Formats: sequence, structure tokens, C-alpha cells
Amino acid sequence: MSLSRRTLAVVGLLACLAPVAHAGESPRALVEKMAQQAVDILGNRSLSSDEKRHRIEDLAYANIDFDTMSRLVLARNWSRLSPAQQEEFVKLFREHLALTYGRNIESYNNEKVEVVGERDEGRGDWSVKTKILRGGGSADVLVDYRLRQENDAWRIIDVVIERVSLVANFRSQFQEIMSDGGPTKLLEVLREKNAKGEPLKSDGS
Amino acid sequence: MRPRRFVPLLAVVLALSGAMVARTDEGAGSERDPLEGFNRKMFWFNDKVDVYVLAPVASGWEKVSPRCVRTSVSHFFGNLRFPIVAVNDLLQGKVKASGSDVGRFAVNTTVGVLGFFDPASHWGLIEHREDFGQTLGVWGVPPGPYLVLPLLGPSDPRDAAGFAVDYALAVTPFFIEEYILVGARVVDTVNERSFVLKQVEDAKASAFDYYTFVRNAYLQRRHALVRDLADTTEENQQLYYPEFDREEKP
Repeated sequence: MSLSRRTLAVVGLLACLAPVAHAGESPRALVEKMAQQAVDILGNRSLSSDEKRHRIEDLAYANIDFDTMSRLVLARNWSRLSPAQQEEFVKLFREHLALTYGRNIESYNNEKVEVVGERDEGRGDWSVKTKILRGGGSADVLVDYRLRQENDAWRIIDVVIERVSLVANFRSQFQEIMSDGGPTKLLEVLREKNAKGEPLKSDGS
Repeated sequence: MRPRRFVPLLAVVLALSGAMVARTDEGAGSERDPLEGFNRKMFWFNDKVDVYVLAPVASGWEKVSPRCVRTSVSHFFGNLRFPIVAVNDLLQGKVKASGSDVGRFAVNTTVGVLGFFDPASHWGLIEHREDFGQTLGVWGVPPGPYLVLPLLGPSDPRDAAGFAVDYALAVTPFFIEEYILVGARVVDTVNERSFVLKQVEDAKASAFDYYTFVRNAYLQRRHALVRDLADTTEENQQLYYPEFDREEKP
């Protein structure tokens, strides 16, 4: 019977798709899930600051495409870096973000996150708009995530906080360093900055 | 700080920047900052004022007052901004938003006890952020070069003009003496600063160049506020699809 053969085919196809069903989730679902996980980690009193920081980092690594983000941040300067330098830049930049945002782990005060909208940005990008609820009105913080799809999976390529894009902001800062001293200087500055940011444990609780 | 005192300042500013206006409208980096030398000095000065005066006072205020008190103070001053927001909404053709602002003011001034509480937000009358600088932008006036003003901080000729007009708007309906207004402004500034003590410290620690960081954030934010919506324009294309990115992937 052609029908049952087709059914079989469909079942077979579904079985093949099942392992990647997670990867195929919508950008909105991804952001919602990530926000929920972050809130769960931050609000979990049985975790130490360090454990929280590690889990948040893992969460970020799973959802953020640091390779694309790094290329966007450097824009036309990207090609001035050798492949080895590019690799190091991605690593250092990711570390820098982890250090910067890791500082705020202890400031968490039961804020909730709400997805307030989404938008097709065209050319395969998608924006998910969220709000960190801190008492309403101007106290709330608007955070938009821009996601790009690659191999069927959506990953975050920019975070726009109160209309200030992280990618654009770092681009302007790195541009100045690049025009002053080129790739070597850029990596040197990043290394130095990260080394200075290291003693985080004295911070917070 | 009567509006008329801004006139000489503005005249200087506009004279300085007039020639550059046409070349410095787009972007959010050094191409918008032909006065960088002057701006960096002024930025440094403002930062010293912040570090030695404003931040310590705000930090003291934060220690002695619970968060709910500071939030109420913030609501109170926010409520007084109502003429600015309502008029500018109207000037930008946002009639419905303007009506909502009037409703907000009525609700928060009465039910919200002189504006110290914000019941209006819970009733769907959300706060809008409008000022005359944005209105000028909506009308098509170019922003001109980035400009750091003494004490007032990041700005540009368009926003400086907007600030002067808003100041007049805020003052006129209330018939208040100038010294009270200056005092109120000081309290408002200290109070608002107390909410971002840690954020500013973190930003300074993590920025590679704090001046560039602030300049870019200011220019991006003002640009977005004028447009109101995120945009798919040329700049956005440049940001998210730089040419190299279309070819290879590592």
C-alpha cells in the first residue's frame, strides 16, 4: 500500500529529525528558555557565586555564537588578523564578556524576564525583544537579542541593551585600537584587560 | 539656568559646529566627533566632578535610603516631566501617546500621591520617553557633531537646543522660583545617579576606552530613540553584514 509506505517514510523522517528537534526550536523559544535557565541559576540559593558564574558561562557558550559576534565586532578589520590571531581574539573577547558580565552575578535581585516581542530582520536574522522587570516603567531594562540561523540552529549574535548594541559599541572601541596599533596591539590590550579583571572573587558576597 | 542663558552657549556651539553638520550626521564613532580634543577634555572634567562629588554623594544617599524611597523620588521627578513628554509627543504627531501622558499625570498626581507612586503604569498608561531633541530629529533636523557639555555630559547641538526648550517647557507651567528648580535638579540628579553606581563602575572597568564607550552608547541610543523602531537601514546592514562576512566562514 502506498499509504502505509508513505506513513513509514514520514515516521522514518521524523525519527531522523528527532535528535535535532532541539536545534530547530524558534528564536523566541530559545531566548525564553535561556532567560528561564538564567533566572533559575541566579535565584538558586544553594549555589555559590563561582558555581553560578560557571553555569551562566556555560549557558552563554551554548546560546551565543561568539565566532560570528567576533567577526561582526571587528568588521573589515577581521581580515587584518591572521587565522591564529583571529582564534585568539575570539577566545579573549569571550573571556572579556564573561568577566564583565560575571561581575553582575551578585546583583541579581529576583528580577524576572519577559519576552515582549519578536521581529523578522530579513536575510535570515531574527530579533527577540525582552524586558528585565525591575518594578515597571523606566526601571525596567529593555534587552533585545539578535539571532542568526546556521545549520538549522539559532544562535545569538548581538545583544542590544536599552537600544545600545554590544557589537556596535565594541566595534567603535576596537576600531580605535586597531587604527592605533593594529592586531598585535588589539590582542595585547585584550590580554591586559582580562588579566586585570581576573580577581573577581573578592567582589560581591 | 534660565533658558535664555543657553542662548549664548548655543550660539557658540552652533557656530563651532555649523560647518561640520553636513558631514557628521551618520554613524556612531569618531566620524561624528570632529571636536574630539575639546570633548575629551570636557569629558575628563565631568568625570572628575562625578568621581569626587556626584558619585560619593549619591553613594551616601544610597546607603541611608531604602530603594523604595529612591524609586518614589524618581517617580516624583518623572511625573513633573509630564509637560515635556506630552508636548513633544504632540509635536511628533503622536496624539494618542500625548493623551496617555496627560492621563498618566492626572492618575499619578492624585492616586499616586503627588507623583511619588506610579499606579498609572499598572493601568496601561506606560511612561514615554520624549524630548525636544527627539522632536527636532523627527522633523528632520540633523544632530550635528557629538558634543560633551560641561556638567550636562554627552550631547550634540540638536539635543542641546532640545534641552533648552524642554527646560522652558518644564518650568513655565509650574511658576516655580529658579533656586528651587536648581535644588530640585540637584536632588533629581543625585537620586538617579544612585541607581547606577555599580553599573558605571563596571562600565569604566570593562571599557577599553571609556570615552569611546560612552560616545558610542549615546549616539546609538539617541539615534534609535529618534527612529523609535529598530531599523533595517544602511547602517544596520553595515553592522550585521559587513562585506567580508558574505564569503567564507572559518
